[in-house]
Amino acid sequence: MRQNKLFILFFVLVSSMSLAKDKAILRLQVIDPYADVHSGPGRGYPVLHAIEEGEYIDVLTRRPGWYEVRTQNGRVGWVTAAKISRTIQVSGEPADLPDVSFGDYLKNTWRVGYSAGVFSSGELDGSDLWSAFVGYRATSWLGVEAEYGKAYREDVRGDYYGVNVLVEPISKWRLSPYLLLGLGNIKIDSQPGFVPLPLNSSSDYQNYAIGTNFYLGRNFLIKLEYRSYIVSTDTDDAGLGSWRLGFNTFF
Amino acid sequence: MAIRFQHVLLMNNACLLLACLLGASGSLASTQKDKPVSGSASSIDNEYFEIGFNTGILNLQDFSSEFTVGANVSFKATEDFFLQFNYLRTDVGLSSFEKDSPVGRYFEGDDRTYSHYDLLVGYNLLQGEFFFREGEANLSTLYLVAGVGDTEFGGEANFTYTLGAGYEVSFARRFVMRFDYRNFIYTSNLIVEEDGSTRNGLLSVGLGYLF
Repeated sequence: MRQNKLFILFFVLVSSMSLAKDKAILRLQVIDPYADVHSGPGRGYPVLHAIEEGEYIDVLTRRPGWYEVRTQNGRVGWVTAAKISRTIQVSGEPADLPDVSFGDYLKNTWRVGYSAGVFSSGELDGSDLWSAFVGYRATSWLGVEAEYGKAYREDVRGDYYGVNVLVEPISKWRLSPYLLLGLGNIKIDSQPGFVPLPLNSSSDYQNYAIGTNFYLGRNFLIKLEYRSYIVSTDTDDAGLGSWRLGFNTFF
Repeated sequence: MAIRFQHVLLMNNACLLLACLLGASGSLASTQKDKPVSGSASSIDNEYFEIGFNTGILNLQDFSSEFTVGANVSFKATEDFFLQFNYLRTDVGLSSFEKDSPVGRYFEGDDRTYSHYDLLVGYNLLQGEFFFREGEANLSTLYLVAGVGDTEFGGEANFTYTLGAGYEVSFARRFVMRFDYRNFIYTSNLIVEEDGSTRNGLLSVGLGYLF
């Protein structure tokens, strides 16, 4: 019951937050000869009407790849971001809408993603792993990210967290290589009923990786990566290697 | 049909013009002129995230079927793809082995709580509209999800593959209802199976809020 109340409170809070955003509306003039207005933000939704060159539209909402617009006669519908890329503001300047400005679009973006894979060498050889991260990219080629993940095998399990710096020199390519360097901490435990490994308890590590991003869409990519770890234990340094495949998105 | 639409559109325009001329629609005309027009794209409201909760029935292999409560956060990456984080937990009853065994329960306390979370990528396979009533179109999509995660039960923590399918329909501008089936696949040593893998199925109904 208390949980339910909390949920309701949370929803009310979120709704009121979005209501509070009473901002001025962006009005643009269409300079494309013609654009289809769909009933929903997807190519499968029917075309209800069209907007024409010279018409003014109010841009209301943004969803991935689509904008919700209101035409002068009050009709509301969805137009692809690509279609209204070449619109101009009332002031006569070209509009710089997100999703449609070309070039440095990776700059100042927040990123989230996850990857899954397997340790291929070292003490944790054969362990499955996953990791999730949140990152920020200040320039198109340089970013930082914080990650958290876990590793599992029949006899052991571990969890790790770290901070990485990512360099992606040629991010305008669709298939774009990157380098990653970072520091972290890994804690390894045995599964119930198994003898603990020598690489036990918590240890600091350094990792470096080489990988490649493949951009499936403008803000969605799949990545393949090989990562090497140097784990500092009480006696000496142990090496680990892992392969991982993941998805990233940014906004 | 097209002619009929044109006719309706023309009629609308004509009515609008007439209304404007008569001054009856003064408010509409004034909004076109007076409303502050922002020059930046940052004034556009984004709808990229969705939070939600769901309840369902989880069928645990070798154990009981349990009522679950879960929460999820989705990020809509593109028109077709989304990323989703899910969390659920439930307390688990006796396995059939435990019911018959003189030893009783295999494990106690917190270990009897099943908790699961996963990171999924989803693909909107069939997008369309659903009509609760005539003339009221609601956006809907049938989607597939796949991903990896963690399942903790009986003192074990296991790497889990999740596969599933779901149907989502919006019933208000920002609210969606979801019907989901998920299959959690992992290797467990609690009760040894012939092929070593454990499969748990979850059927759930959920509510989401888009922001």
